[in-house]
Amino acid sequence: MLINGVINGLIIGGILSLPVMGVAVVYGLTGIPNFGIGVIGVFGGFLTWLLIPTTNLALAALVGIAFCFPVGFFLQKFLMTPASIRAKGDTFIYVIITISFGFIMEGLTRLCFPKSIVGIDLPRLGSFRIAGVQAEGFKFIALLFGICTLLAIRFLEKYTRGGKSWKATSQNLKLASLFGINTKRVFNIAHGIGCSLACIGAIFWGGLYNLGVTSGWELGFLGFIIAVVGGIGNIWGGMISAVIMGMVMSFSGYFLGGNWQSVTLYGVVILVLILAPKGIMGSERSF
Amino acid sequence: MILPEPLLRISDLVAGYGHRSALKHVHIDVVESELVGIVGPNGAGKTTLLETIAGTLRTKNGEIRYRNMRIEQLSEMERRKKGLVLIPQDDYIFPGMSVQDNLEVAGILNDKDTTKKLLAEVYEIFPILKDRVKQLADTMSGGERKMLAVAMGLVSQADLIMIDEPSLGLAPNLVTKLLGSLKRIKKKTKRTLILAEQSIKILDVADRLFGLEGGEIVFSDKIENVNREKVEILFFGG
Amino acid sequence: MKDHFKEIAILLILLIPLFFIPIGGYFQEVTGYVYLFIMQGYVAWFLYFRSGQPFFGYTVTMGAGAYGTIVLNVKFHMPLWFSMLSGSLLAAFVAVLIFVATSRARGFYVSMASFLLAILFPQLMLALQKITGGHSGLYFGGLSDYIGVNGLYITVILSGCAIAGTIFLIMSTRVGSILTLISQNDQLTKSVGINTFIYKMMAYAIAGFLSGIAGGLYVNYTGFISAVDIEVFTTVFIFFIPLLGGKSRSYGPLVGAIIVILAPELFFELELYMRILLGSLFIIVIILLPEGVGPTVERLIRGLFKEKLFKSVAR
Repeated sequence: MLINGVINGLIIGGILSLPVMGVAVVYGLTGIPNFGIGVIGVFGGFLTWLLIPTTNLALAALVGIAFCFPVGFFLQKFLMTPASIRAKGDTFIYVIITISFGFIMEGLTRLCFPKSIVGIDLPRLGSFRIAGVQAEGFKFIALLFGICTLLAIRFLEKYTRGGKSWKATSQNLKLASLFGINTKRVFNIAHGIGCSLACIGAIFWGGLYNLGVTSGWELGFLGFIIAVVGGIGNIWGGMISAVIMGMVMSFSGYFLGGNWQSVTLYGVVILVLILAPKGIMGSERSF
Repeated sequence: MILPEPLLRISDLVAGYGHRSALKHVHIDVVESELVGIVGPNGAGKTTLLETIAGTLRTKNGEIRYRNMRIEQLSEMERRKKGLVLIPQDDYIFPGMSVQDNLEVAGILNDKDTTKKLLAEVYEIFPILKDRVKQLADTMSGGERKMLAVAMGLVSQADLIMIDEPSLGLAPNLVTKLLGSLKRIKKKTKRTLILAEQSIKILDVADRLFGLEGGEIVFSDKIENVNREKVEILFFGG
Repeated sequence: MKDHFKEIAILLILLIPLFFIPIGGYFQEVTGYVYLFIMQGYVAWFLYFRSGQPFFGYTVTMGAGAYGTIVLNVKFHMPLWFSMLSGSLLAAFVAVLIFVATSRARGFYVSMASFLLAILFPQLMLALQKITGGHSGLYFGGLSDYIGVNGLYITVILSGCAIAGTIFLIMSTRVGSILTLISQNDQLTKSVGINTFIYKMMAYAIAGFLSGIAGGLYVNYTGFISAVDIEVFTTVFIFFIPLLGGKSRSYGPLVGAIIVILAPELFFELELYMRILLGSLFIIVIILLPEGVGPTVERLIRGLFKEKLFKSVAR
């Protein structure tokens, strides 16, 4: 049972790590807690579902993911950047705007697609047994994807010009723009990437459970609260806390029953917020 | 004697935060390859002046000419591309990045070869930075961080480097050292430097001095014409 | 008296729906429903916009009042008045608890904690389904068993008026002015020697209690509550009620509730588009009309009048 719980935790943590990283990337760069990110991702997930019958999975997924990028990009460019002048440091204005934008995306998902609940067929990729527990290969792909994304971001930050200006922007916004980095564009791109990550998360979610019109909220909220535990905006912290919280969900499911899973999860998060508001690993944002 | 064409000419400049104007009709000429000191008490408008030149603050009135081109309507980015850079008073480094990365980010607008050349030049001026290329910037001492900030200004390939309070928070012997290296940099690289400074030691290195008080220029002259005692009494409390 | 002319006028306007009783039917029912949210809107107006407390758990206090009432009455067979009072006190207690627990944190994290609590609360109610009925919810007759549907309607209208009146009254006292001071500059208020902690706690207690009463009335009016009724979006809507109507005006929550709650009820055939319309409206108001709809309309009307005056003078 212990192993079963761990494996389950890894699977849940893996799926959650993607929206978590989406939230972390957006918050870490722009300082905007995007609660609607999951809904944007789910729109992409529905798009993928719609295209699967006409083409192969990889292409369909790619279209969904690619669609989410400009949504995030232009959301930042035309809504969040102008709003930041209004907000004057009141972060909660961002929460309200992103939720409102989520309403719009949710309504659009309802309008644009014929079904309100869909499942996405992902290739099973075989199955293997670990210590008597059966698990299908595809369930771990999400985790692998999360880790690879993390490593890719770190690699880019270390070795490319764009990555360096990305990191510089997150470290010291004012100085970055003083030295000629187009921080607004960095923000736009970060928001686009964040939404694309959320979309990948939604596709996996749709492969493992079902994808409903309102699943995006759940995905986004979960992503957000887990990001809070790791330190919002800290990508490493996000990954680690995704796995930890996956375990928390998995074990609380075993011991307390499925209904208590999210209660335990949110309870842990509220405790973290009260005891260590900046998360267990602290926020990477220094402005 | 023909005066050289000024690199930067500011005339009738009015600027400030919100409705208040921290600068009132300021006139300044800065000649190329000079080390210019701007002195004045707290709240005199030194930072406002530098930020307005760099473009982080909007100009309310007046004009700023750089190489005889009007730049007061240009964005921060466009001015940066024309060769101006401002190193702010605090948070002048990227704390979680290595020395090398800090310098490379500073040179983000250059092409690769230029950055390489400038890096070599900077390491020659500040050998200590070369020993610490891999070190994270916020683990360095205050003096080293200031050196890094100055080095970043050099790597940015700007012709006009503005530094806000370079000696702030440094021990007196370090101030002398830093200002000394700034003077050497000016001689060696022919860059123009504008320092907003509260340390009296600026009088030993500057070529030209501007006194700012209450948002107005109260004196401006070459250092040899400045009455040292008067300035000391005015701005440094005797 | 003369200073409070506006407030008294608003209270009188709030009483107008009493005349809807002869019309009856759907219109009356919807009006009562809107009033349940006007009350919450006034609580949000008081706590968030007038006292500057970044609280975001209005469905938590409302839900505490509602569930407290129905559970005590149905499951534990307590008298109704006692259940409602206990529910409201529970709501006040929860609000104070949230405040004390988050008082060490800074603004954003306080709103974050209460917002997460608003996400958590329906989940908690689902998990406690043995007592709360989970998704299928709980039903009861409530007040209408005693005083009839019209009696209940009158109670709701009067309570809406009373809650708004209580808040106006508090804002006109010394406590109210200190809360206003706190909302403008917390540190400064503290430094002149006012114990801001006590006053903030008082604001939370009052807001929690009033929100709890409104929650108790909610469950009496609808005769039913489930986890869906208190989902986190409701808290977003409650927050938007004063913001949309005009956060700086005492009529703000009234106007806001008409837009946020009444309009979707009346145009239910647009349900498919409702989320899109509301979402767009929220964004437009935040970006373009940060003062809210009320003050903007006010300014437009004033502008019109001036123009007319100007024209008549010119003539």
